[in-house]
Amino acid sequence: MAENTSYVELSHINKHFGDFQASKDINFSIPKGRLVALLGPSGSGKTTILRMIAGLEHPDSGEIRIDGRVVNQVPGSERGIGFVFQNYALFRYMTVYDNIAFGLRVKKAPKEEIDQRVRELLKLINCEGLEKRYPSQLSGGQRQRVAFARALAPRPQLLLLDEPFAAIDAKVRLELRTWLREMITQLNITSIFVTHDQDEAIEVADDIIVTNQGRVEQVGTPQALYRSPATAFVARFIGNSIPVKNYEKFRSFERGGRDTEAILRPEFISVYKKGERVQFQNSAEEGVVQDVIFRGSSLEIRVLIHGNLLSAIRSINDPAVEIGETVDVFIHRLFVLDGEKITLMDNRSLAGESVII
Amino acid sequence: MELRKDSGPLKWVLILLCVVFLAVMLLLPLAYIVITALREGFGAYWAAITDPYARKAALLTLEATLWAVVINTLFGLCAAWSLTKFSFRGKKVLSTFIDLPVTVSPIIAGLIYVLTFGRQSPLYPLLEEAGVQIIFAVPGIVLATIFVTFPFISRELIPVLNAQGTDEEEAAALMGAGTFTIFRKVTLPHMKWALLYGVVLCTARAMGEFGAVSVLSGHLRGKTNTLPLYVELLYQGYDFTGAFAASSLLVIMAIIVLILRCWLERKGNKANDIR
Repeated sequence: MAENTSYVELSHINKHFGDFQASKDINFSIPKGRLVALLGPSGSGKTTILRMIAGLEHPDSGEIRIDGRVVNQVPGSERGIGFVFQNYALFRYMTVYDNIAFGLRVKKAPKEEIDQRVRELLKLINCEGLEKRYPSQLSGGQRQRVAFARALAPRPQLLLLDEPFAAIDAKVRLELRTWLREMITQLNITSIFVTHDQDEAIEVADDIIVTNQGRVEQVGTPQALYRSPATAFVARFIGNSIPVKNYEKFRSFERGGRDTEAILRPEFISVYKKGERVQFQNSAEEGVVQDVIFRGSSLEIRVLIHGNLLSAIRSINDPAVEIGETVDVFIHRLFVLDGEKITLMDNRSLAGESVII
Repeated sequence: MELRKDSGPLKWVLILLCVVFLAVMLLLPLAYIVITALREGFGAYWAAITDPYARKAALLTLEATLWAVVINTLFGLCAAWSLTKFSFRGKKVLSTFIDLPVTVSPIIAGLIYVLTFGRQSPLYPLLEEAGVQIIFAVPGIVLATIFVTFPFISRELIPVLNAQGTDEEEAAALMGAGTFTIFRKVTLPHMKWALLYGVVLCTARAMGEFGAVSVLSGHLRGKTNTLPLYVELLYQGYDFTGAFAASSLLVIMAIIVLILRCWLERKGNKANDIR
C-alpha cells in the first residue's frame, strides 16, 4: 500500500504489560475512509492496539502514524480521533445534550455553533426529544447512539470503537450493525472497531485485521479471509471450521503431507438424501445423520463420516432428512494445514470446473 | 414468600429485642442526661452552659472538628484518588495504613504524639526554637483529632471511585478536557454524596474524641479543654448539673449531625437513581 494513501499506520509496535506481551511487532496500514475491524479472540491484543492508536496506552517501541504524522508523543486529545468505549462511558451526571456538547465545550466553541452541532447529531442518531434525559433513562441502543454522537461531535478524522455492540441484546445488535455501517459510510470517516464476533466483523467491515496472541495474523477483506486464510489460526477461526485428521479417507482426496490436518466448513459440504441426484456420485461418501438443527432460514445437518462429525447446511425447501438416516455427502473442497502452510484442496472430480466460493 | 409468612412471630421478637436494647442502652441514658441537667431548674442549666469555661470548651471542640474535617477532606480526596485511579507499588500497604487509626486505641495515638513532639523527642529543641508548642496546646488537640478521624472520608470515597472505573475520565481526557475540568465535571458529581457523608461521619467522630485528646491536652481549663474533657472534669468534681448540661450540648451537636446524615442519605440515594 502506497505511503500517501494510508491514513493510520502502525509499524513494529511492541507493548508489554509487566511480563505479558500484548503486542508483538504489529504492522498494518489503513487507507483513508475505510471501515476496519480488529478481530480476534479475547486476550489477543486487539483492544490494546485500539487504545494505542487513541493514545490511551503507549507502545514500548515502534511508530504510530495518523495522517502521515508520527503521533507517539501526541496526546490522544490532539490526534483528531473520536472514541466509543465498550460500555459507552457516557457521563452519567450529564444529560444527553451535555454529553454530546462536552467535546465542543472543552474546545471552547461558540455557543450557537455547539447548539447547532448537537441538534444536527441528535437528528442523525434519531434521538430528538431525548436531549434532557440522563444516560440511565435511555435504552441500550440509544446509549450506543449517544456515545457515537458524542464521539463525532468535535468532527474527528478517525473514529475508534471498542466492542461497540457487546453490551446490547441480540435483536437490537443486528439493527445497530446495519445502522452503524450506513452511518459511517455516509459520513465517510475512517473507522476502526474492535470485535470478537466474526459475523459482526464480516458483515460490517470493509477490511478485517485478525489478531491472535498479540500478533496480526492476517489483514484483508472478509472475502479474502474466507477464500485464502494466510495462517492456520485464521483458517480455524473464520467460519464454522471443523478440523479433520484422517481426511485422506474421504473419496477423491489424498494426503498432502505427513503431519497435516484438514479444515472443513459447512459450506464445503453438500448432503443428499438417498435417491436425490448427486452430480459426482462416485466421489460421494455415505454418512449417518446425527442431528438436525433448525437455524431459522436453513437446517444444520450433523453427519458422521469416518469418525468425524461434520456440519453441513441444507435448505428448508429440500426434502427433510431425519436423525439416523444414511445420506450421501459430497465434499467440494477442504483446507490442508501443514504447520503454518495452507493449501486449498479441491475434490478431484471437480478438477477443471471453475470454483466460486 | 412462605418463609416470610412462617416467620411472623420471629419478626416481632426481633423487633422487640431491638427496641428494648435501644431503650436500655441509648434512650434511658439520654433521658437521664436531660433530667440530671435540668434537675436544679432551667436557670442552673442555663448558667452551666453559658459558663465561660463551658463556652470555651465548646468553641475549642468546634475548632478542632473544623480543622480535622478540612484537613481530612483534602487528605481523603488525595488518598482515595491515588488509590483508585493509579496503580503503583505499595498501594496495598498504603491502603492498609489508612485504616490504622481505627484499629489503634486513641490513647496510644495520643502517646505517639507525646513521644514525637514532647520533651524527650529530638524534635523538641527545634520546635521550641521556632516557638511552636504542640503538646498540651491546641495544635496537639487538632493533631490528635485528625489522627483518629483520618480514615473516615477516604473510606467513603474509595468504593464510589472504584465502582465508577476510569472510562468516563478517559473519555473526557480524549476530548481534550484538562485534569481540573475532568475532576469538576466528571469525578466530583460522582462522589459528592459520599464525600458529604464522609464529612458528617468525620465531624461526629471528631466532636466526641476523648482518649487521644485527653493525653495531649494537659487539661488546662479554658485553654486546652475540649467539651468531652470538660464534661469529665466537672464530673470528677461532683458538679453533676454542669457535667450533664455540657453533655447535653454534645448531644445536641450529635443530633444535628444525625439529622444531616439522614438528609444526605436520602439525597444521595435519589442521586444514585441516575446511575
